[in-house]
Amino acid sequence: MIARLDRKVPGGKLLRAEVEVESGRVLAASVRGDFFAHPEEAFEDAEAELAGLPVDRLAEEALALFSRAPLRIFGASPQDIAGLLSETAREAQAH
Amino acid sequence: MKLRLIDSGGAGLPGALNMGLDEAVLGAVSTGSSPPTLRLYAWSPPCVTVGYFQSLEDEVDLEACRAAGIDAVRRLTGGGAVFHEAEVTYSLILPLGHELAPEDILESYRRICAGLVAGLERLGVEAAFAPINDIVVGGRKVSGNAQTRRKGCLLQHGTVLLDLEPERMFSLLKVPAEKLKGKLIEDVKARVTSLRSLLGRELDYAEAARVLREGFASAWGAEFDESAPTEEEAAEARRLAETRFSQSEWNARR
Repeated sequence: MIARLDRKVPGGKLLRAEVEVESGRVLAASVRGDFFAHPEEAFEDAEAELAGLPVDRLAEEALALFSRAPLRIFGASPQDIAGLLSETAREAQAH
Repeated sequence: MKLRLIDSGGAGLPGALNMGLDEAVLGAVSTGSSPPTLRLYAWSPPCVTVGYFQSLEDEVDLEACRAAGIDAVRRLTGGGAVFHEAEVTYSLILPLGHELAPEDILESYRRICAGLVAGLERLGVEAAFAPINDIVVGGRKVSGNAQTRRKGCLLQHGTVLLDLEPERMFSLLKVPAEKLKGKLIEDVKARVTSLRSLLGRELDYAEAARVLREGFASAWGAEFDESAPTEEEAAEARRLAETRFSQSEWNARR
């Protein structure tokens, strides 16, 4: 199932997560929004690597992926992104 | 420092061409075939742009844009949705390591935005840089800025609002619920301002472009060498406008 959750980061930007889950694993996940990430492709690489991860490990794996050098995110932290992705994945699983 | 200045003029260019020209100049600066460059420009027809990480579909009422003859384009830079109509826009393209392009991204925003603050000062407007990417007057945003770093270069573009029409803006943007529209319009009126509102008079592109240019010269210690884009840049800009910035493969990718 697919779930979408939006969250305004306090003092930061708006994150819009979309996660598709099947049999306890992420099929695809993305985070859209008005944040900045440098280099942009590194953010998209991290997003692509979310596919295949087990939902119950998504929070820690996503935190590692979005914290990985050289990626730098402005307007949201890797914690904000990983937390929202994990919540969205659980939401998708619950449906 | 010496900067090439390309003033594309107050008559404005289509959004896809503006974004194509920014990227074409970046390509030319990255190979050393063009020097560090400042562009000043406007938009015709008016255009909504969304940030690199935004979904055009999520943010923009594309049907309303089509009906109103307004373009919609996804930018190379992050940040939020912007409605470009009554404004002056700049872009600055520099090789990394230039004194306005230090490694520290927030520091480069600060140094570049100091030029905008100095320009606004010439109009008697007391503005300040508000990290990450805004310039504010009395706590209200008058300028938004966005930066990307590619091919060993920094590209920062941004806007200074000449006028603000939140009702028109929200007729083109998607809102979470129609009943929230009134509140969103009130929020924008409280958080955003324009030079027209600050000065209590009309200000056109030419006047705003001139004071910005003076502000950039004084804050950056810049001397400008004004010219048109090279033939290669102009051709590459047209190519990018046609093959990228007006195509859904790019605009609707996220």
